Amino acid sequence: MANKRNTFLLIWILTAIGCLFVFLKYASPKIFQVLMAKDHPMPTPSTLMMWYMIMGVLAGLVYATTSNQKFADFLSFLLPGSGHVIQSFLRNMLFVAFPVLVGWFVYTWSIPGAASPVELRIQHPTLPQDFEKLENPFRQKDDQAQRKSIEEGKILFQTYCRPCHGSKADGNGPFANSFRLRPINFQDPGTIATVVDNYLFWRIKEGGPGLPSEATPWDSAMPSWKDDLKDDEIWMIIMGEYDTAGVMPRQREKQE
Amino acid sequence: MIKALKKGLICFGLIGIGSCFLWICGEVSAQSSLLFRTYKHEVPQKLQETPEAVAEGKKVYEKRCWYCHGIEGKGDGPASKTMFPKPRNFTRNEYKVRSTVFGSVPTDEDLFRIITSGIEGTAMPFWNTISEKERWQAIHYIKTFNEQFKKDATPQVVSVISIASTPESVNRGQELFKETKCYECHGEDGRGNGPLTVALQTEWNMPYRARDLTKSWNFKGGNTIEDIYRTISTGFNETPMGSYLEKLSDEDRWHVVHYVKSLAKDIASDVVVKVKLWEGDQLPSDASDESWSKATAVEIPLAGQIIATPRQWAPSIDAIMVKALYNKNEIAFLLEWDDATNKQEEVFRDAVSLQFPTKIPESLKKPYFAMGDSGGAVNLWSWKAYWNEGFGAVVEAPENESGSVSEMNAKGFKNVTIQPPESQNVAGRGIYQNGRWKVVLKRTLVTEDTKGDMQFEIGKLIPIAFAVWDGSNSDVGGLKSVSSWYYISLEKQVPKTVFVYVLIAIIMGGSVEMWFIARLRRFPPKVEEE
Ligand code: HEC
Ligand code: HEC
Ligand code: HEC
Repeated sequence: MANKRNTFLLIWILTAIGCLFVFLKYASPKIFQVLMAKDHPMPTPSTLMMWYMIMGVLAGLVYATTSNQKFADFLSFLLPGSGHVIQSFLRNMLFVAFPVLVGWFVYTWSIPGAASPVELRIQHPTLPQDFEKLENPFRQKDDQAQRKSIEEGKILFQTYCRPCHGSKADGNGPFANSFRLRPINFQDPGTIATVVDNYLFWRIKEGGPGLPSEATPWDSAMPSWKDDLKDDEIWMIIMGEYDTAGVMPRQREKQE
Repeated sequence: MIKALKKGLICFGLIGIGSCFLWICGEVSAQSSLLFRTYKHEVPQKLQETPEAVAEGKKVYEKRCWYCHGIEGKGDGPASKTMFPKPRNFTRNEYKVRSTVFGSVPTDEDLFRIITSGIEGTAMPFWNTISEKERWQAIHYIKTFNEQFKKDATPQVVSVISIASTPESVNRGQELFKETKCYECHGEDGRGNGPLTVALQTEWNMPYRARDLTKSWNFKGGNTIEDIYRTISTGFNETPMGSYLEKLSDEDRWHVVHYVKSLAKDIASDVVVKVKLWEGDQLPSDASDESWSKATAVEIPLAGQIIATPRQWAPSIDAIMVKALYNKNEIAFLLEWDDATNKQEEVFRDAVSLQFPTKIPESLKKPYFAMGDSGGAVNLWSWKAYWNEGFGAVVEAPENESGSVSEMNAKGFKNVTIQPPESQNVAGRGIYQNGRWKVVLKRTLVTEDTKGDMQFEIGKLIPIAFAVWDGSNSDVGGLKSVSSWYYISLEKQVPKTVFVYVLIAIIMGGSVEMWFIARLRRFPPKVEEE
């Protein structure tokens, strides 16, 4: 056991952290580009990058302390006078690199750069009470009447919502690029598939201005349609919207 | 000892992961990468045209396409009301993106490419979301709307063998662009402002707009040199964009292509417009001033205002370029956008407006991006092109008239007030050149009207939003192109003290290191023998 000691453990961990950095910085944007079929790389957001790096460092430390043996190997690398040429060369490099790195960090933190804005928001705040009890009149009807409402709803959707939400309800309408808080992609299973009809009714009627402040109403381009569309039309649009996006609303818990 | 350390580390790790999730959720909604459609060239193995395929295609069509293209393929589907340009009428041969000679029908592969890619800036979506089989079936079905597909079964295809670009070729292309009269529609600098386009639009009220060749992301048939070559050779059926296959030799068409490609710019967008410190006493008040070249340009995509009535479903301005500089007293903005016409009327005039909150927000909360709301007021700087003629006159704003500027406050679009004369302190000047408006707006960093005016501070993120009106597109009031909130940031200079900090940090880092090593030497880690 003792003669199989991994005296380069420290270097391996540092290399792994370095690899993680390179992966996040250069490889992952390309991978996401392919995965999400975009025409441009998708750079890792800087805060996310910072957290992954912190996690990488922690993981390295956790690994190094999994046994006393490892921990000893980890630290003994830094002890001068032992090992061969490569080891002392790397060690000296580390000694120089550490203060330089600290200096560089302080430099990048203290030069005034334009901060990038933090725009956290909650996509689905709670539904206001007034809207909880409503029922979509078309869901109860027979098949034929439902089909009809879907067809009419689709046309209304194409007429009013398409420029932003896109003709396939995929959030890619010709105006979508202009709004930094992008029109929602309804095909995404995390959006309208996770809420009930009433929720959409509220969002369509009251739009961005109706949102509570945790959902950043000031950035939302979602119009309030209450002056332009009748309630029935909104329910029809909801029917058409789910159909166009190819998803279903969340099922309500059955009341006993 | 080590055990305790381990536990601590694991706790840390968990906290890290937890916070990470929070951030992921936040970042995903905050990051909005631009997505423009591109013309995709790959075509898979074709599906045989059989009666079954046509029948299946009818089903696809009547599920996915009819509400735009019409049940009979006439381009008059019930949803086409708010669409400009209108959906393709399949009963006529008005196909635009083809590899075939002018007047011919497209090949099946051409149709496959355009259906897969979609058409940027229009309602036509990209259909790579339905299976290849379904796309082929739909193609076989839409061909049944037009007899010509049968008669003209093997249309003549234009061959494309690319020739590399050289500076000479670009220069020759520029000459040819004049000689072959491309500029009559596309304008001298390719901004789609040629005299013929202007006449088509304003006098004959035709829906055709010659492409702004500087905006490469708007090319319907793709923006690689091969694509542009194909477009120029084949033309777009039933539009003013004709074919130059006969009018220009193969080589000359390549020169033109290289010239067009040299005009075509990519969109350089960003969330934060960085405002550079300008050392001089005077900030430039003229758009042609050399000093603007020092500022970073940010291009901001604009959408039609369809958030409240009256809605602009067919905006003609789709982007604005911003540059900004400041010095110790003042801040100046240069705003530039392409507009095919300079036609001013009393009511319908070209205009631009900048919007700021009345105060720099302390938290996330901002006024509503569309002209504020009752909870948050905005400060508007608005510039309008010059017009001072008799009733009903339509004139071009002359170069020596700078236009008028007014400062306003708004708490919602129904609640707009013009500031009193004593707090009108924005100066501005606009000039129209070769299809582009260039407007400079300038104000002192701080003003006396601290309630109604934005007071600029260095180093802070200051929200900004844009609106542009095109008079010849009947834009006025709520009929305009708009953006959501962006930011400006007045850049701080690097203070000299930074280097002192860095030095201290290096020394401290070094000492910590020495101490650590010294300790390590004194108490070397013990390895337990098993
Ligand atoms: C001007 C562009 C625009 C138009 C037009 C528009 N929307 Fe939106 N919509 C947005 C934006 C931006 C969001 C995301 C911000 C938000 O949630 O408010 C959104 C969000 C939504 C949501 C919330 C989805 C979710 O999962 O949280 C629904 C539902 C919705 N829109 C439905 C519609 C319908 C139906 C129409 C047509 C009647 C429509 N929108 C028209 C821009 C638009
Ligand atoms: C939301 C409306 C909409 C839907 C749905 C739609 N299209 Fe289109 N389509 C358009 C518009 C608008 C144009 C014209 C764009 C232009 O002229 O630049 C167009 C143009 C076309 C063209 C002509 C391209 C050219 O080179 O001239 C084809 C082919 C086409 N669509 C096929 C389809 C097929 C097949 C479907 C169904 C799978 C479909 N479209 C669904 C709106 C739509
Ligand atoms: C009579 C007017 C006219 C003339 C002359 C003309 N064009 Fe066009 N051009 C247009 C119009 C209109 C469009 C837009 C067609 C559309 O989108 O429906 C266009 C579109 C284009 C496009 C964009 C194609 C795409 O993929 O979207 C290019 C490139 C172009 N023209 C190049 C040229 C060149 C080069 C010449 C001269 C050799 C020329 N045009 C001459 C009217 C003209």
